[in-house]
Amino acid sequence: MTAEPIDLVEKAIEKGEKLGAQYIEARLVDLKSNTSILKSGVPELGAIFRSKGIGIRVLKDGGVGFASFNEMTKEEMNIAVTFATKMAEAGGNRRSKKIAFSEEEIHKTTYQAIGHSGKRPLEISPEEKINRLINLDKIAAEVETDAIIPFRFFQMLDQTEKKLIITNEGARIESETDLLQLFGLIVAVNPTTGSKEQLMIQKGKAGGYESLDFWKIEEFIEKEVTTLGKIVTEAKEAPKGTIDYVVGPNVIGIMCHENQGHPSEGDRILGREGAQAGESYLKQDMIGEKIGSDKVTIIDDPTLVGSYGYYLYDDEGIKAGPRHLLKDGIFQDMLHNRESAAFMQTKSTAAARAIGYNREPIPRMANTYLAPGDFELGELIEDVKLGVLMHNFTEWNIDDRRYQSKYVGLEAYLIENGEVKHMVRRPVVETTTPKLWGSVDAVAKKSLLEFDAATCGKGDPMQGAPVYHGGSFMRIRNVEVR
Amino acid sequence: MVDKLDTEDVIDLTIKKLQELSFEDYILQTEKSNKSQIRFADNQITIVKNWASMDLGIFAVKNQKTVAVELQDLTSETILSSLDSLDKLVSSLPPNQNYMGISDGPFSYPSIDELSDPDLIDFHEQALDKVTASINAAQEEGAKRSAGVLYWDATKVQLISSRGARAKAHSTKYEYTIRSFVDDTSSGAEIDVGRLSSRIDLEEAGIKAGKIAKMSVGGVSGSPGKYNILLAPKVAGDIVAATPVAANPFSVEIGLSWLKDKIGEQIGPEFISVYDDALLPNGIGSKSFDDEGHPTGRNVLVENGILKGFIHNTSTAKKAGTISTGNAGLVFPQNTNIFFEPGDHSFEELMEISKDKPTLYITNNWYTRFTSYADGIFSTIPRDGMFLVENGEITKPVRELRVSDTMFNIFGNIKAMGKDIKQIKSWEVSTPTFIPAILLEDINITAATS
Repeated sequence: MTAEPIDLVEKAIEKGEKLGAQYIEARLVDLKSNTSILKSGVPELGAIFRSKGIGIRVLKDGGVGFASFNEMTKEEMNIAVTFATKMAEAGGNRRSKKIAFSEEEIHKTTYQAIGHSGKRPLEISPEEKINRLINLDKIAAEVETDAIIPFRFFQMLDQTEKKLIITNEGARIESETDLLQLFGLIVAVNPTTGSKEQLMIQKGKAGGYESLDFWKIEEFIEKEVTTLGKIVTEAKEAPKGTIDYVVGPNVIGIMCHENQGHPSEGDRILGREGAQAGESYLKQDMIGEKIGSDKVTIIDDPTLVGSYGYYLYDDEGIKAGPRHLLKDGIFQDMLHNRESAAFMQTKSTAAARAIGYNREPIPRMANTYLAPGDFELGELIEDVKLGVLMHNFTEWNIDDRRYQSKYVGLEAYLIENGEVKHMVRRPVVETTTPKLWGSVDAVAKKSLLEFDAATCGKGDPMQGAPVYHGGSFMRIRNVEVR
Repeated sequence: MVDKLDTEDVIDLTIKKLQELSFEDYILQTEKSNKSQIRFADNQITIVKNWASMDLGIFAVKNQKTVAVELQDLTSETILSSLDSLDKLVSSLPPNQNYMGISDGPFSYPSIDELSDPDLIDFHEQALDKVTASINAAQEEGAKRSAGVLYWDATKVQLISSRGARAKAHSTKYEYTIRSFVDDTSSGAEIDVGRLSSRIDLEEAGIKAGKIAKMSVGGVSGSPGKYNILLAPKVAGDIVAATPVAANPFSVEIGLSWLKDKIGEQIGPEFISVYDDALLPNGIGSKSFDDEGHPTGRNVLVENGILKGFIHNTSTAKKAGTISTGNAGLVFPQNTNIFFEPGDHSFEELMEISKDKPTLYITNNWYTRFTSYADGIFSTIPRDGMFLVENGEITKPVRELRVSDTMFNIFGNIKAMGKDIKQIKSWEVSTPTFIPAILLEDINITAATS
């Protein structure tokens, strides 16, 4: 016989305690999602995803066990709790360094991040969604440009997630979050040379269908595709030698995420992700050490209202707030869950996120950004003799200690003697993290602060976490370009 | 509370409702699985996991409009309400002009050896012992600490289509990764994947990871420039196999492939032949039917260096004037196993062949990203042991370099193939790939400027 999911969550806690679990959490996630895929104007697929399941995590004898199930029966719950407890014990008995969870304040609360004005994703007709998507494709196809636009791909995805987390320590957090997401891939081709340039689009936001208006999505698509056409037909060779870069919100965002967010994750620093996502150039004893210039303050804040990485309590029930990963260039906060915090004899920074009922909560970023400074954009540019103004990026990668990174510009312009000149093609910043943050000498003002949505990959099985990253504009001095 | 639905109940309920809603064509696929994982770091178990899941996937068609449902919530209420939502969705869509039908059955399916092993179902205690042995083996080779993941599963799949396909499969598999460190920047990694418990050799993986880690101690920053690069199968499985994986019409149509209009062209040397082979014993991607219920097979992608064709489902095949290769996925064609015909060189011979040019031996990589998929312009970062090869021998470990080139050069500049095939499936290589070590000529290598 099936059972009510909420009863199973509560019974799971009782069962775990009976089996001697030191700590047990049960997380019920009810996810409703819809998506539409459009390939060069043709509706390739409309799809519906529905999932409801419970994840159980147990700490016992210094080991951790996890089990999940999606058939809502008492039998499945008993199997999962028994497995998680038994395996926590088995793993713990083989450990010399026992796992513990940090002591934290317990919360009982409810919160929501849902669409307003009657625009919740599930309440919008599929017809309205697909027509909006078809119109976006039409805008992209009909942009006035000298380039050819042969490939267009769009996907809109909305979801409503209801989550209940209960622990045997008394935490009880109920949340309901709407997310709207838009993905796109557009390629422009130079009709003379055949050279191509690609534009990857990702928009995402907590909330409902009104997000499309917030993004001014039609204007955005028209502007970006027009620019793509110019890049492939007009851009000239990027300068080499030792030059300055002025980079915009999209580039700052990815740099904050890759060069500072990931290496600040407590589990990486402890080596827990060593097999795949990698470790970190940062160490616990580097807290307080100068990493960047005093212009560089990098914050990760899950509580930004309407953000793609929004949450108020993490998946261990800990109250969230801003984390200062770098403060005036100094390494200050790590992203911790209770496990990594306990290993470092500190408190959780509420970074535990589990993407789905069947995933364990691990330290993750949420919304990572460079704190704005005081400069006007013009002031950043006027001091540059030879440089590049890079608005956004295309290819990027970084080594698994997050030390050596590469960013290739998409929309970029030559700066010469303090003036912005013609477009340049694929300028590259290939440098180390300390060199990058150490070379920032000016940051633009708050009114230029913008965020982009991204899906952060980590964990095994992969947990693609929705995140924001952003900034205003910053100037990087003396970058050597070969 | 209501009675729990078993697989047959789910199928009966779904078909009845789809017919009631007048869907013309449909494919149902149920998956009942039990998956487990052990993760470890710093030589110690960090977590043991288990996932029990019952899932239903539906692809349905009405008036040439194509829709799908994926359900991990299989109560009768959810199934019926989701199908009602699906009916509303299908009525709102314009026709999919790319849809040209699903495969007509009934079919008989090929038999594949070594797909399933009952000993992998209750495997937790043995798995813990094997992981411990692997960690110890790496330590004996000189590693100070190891991190890794062992994953294994048992899955039952059932497929029914409105066009007469009826198929069932039972399979098991395991995937193992170990990464060993002597210090923060001296590391080695190895994987072991397959379908049978009798094939598992985690200890050997630990030995190899530990050896590479030990060899990479004292590495110095490498210099950028043109190199011959000797790729371990893990790396070849990512950047050399990327080209046959790009032989996918869906990728071509959305600008994610560099193989548009390349069929019939010489894209590699004459000694290269590559297949999509669903029938390989012990292959992680092996299966007897695709997501339309069409029988799978062995399809040539590259023959004697010439791109011969793409993988297809029924719709992409009809559009291209050919027949399905049995590679249907729910939305677009999907590879099964990529298989490279091996060469006849030992690893030592590959080093010897390259003795007159600066050569790097790259044991692992990650973070492959593209400036332009349609032009194949990319870079990737070697990780773990990387070594300079001089006069046919490994001489010293190097670090902090990046492969920055095009996929046309990677595939076109294959100089020689190893003779020992290894099956690769890893964090970086999502398509199961059987591939040897491969030597490439004149590849561009870059480095951070400071």
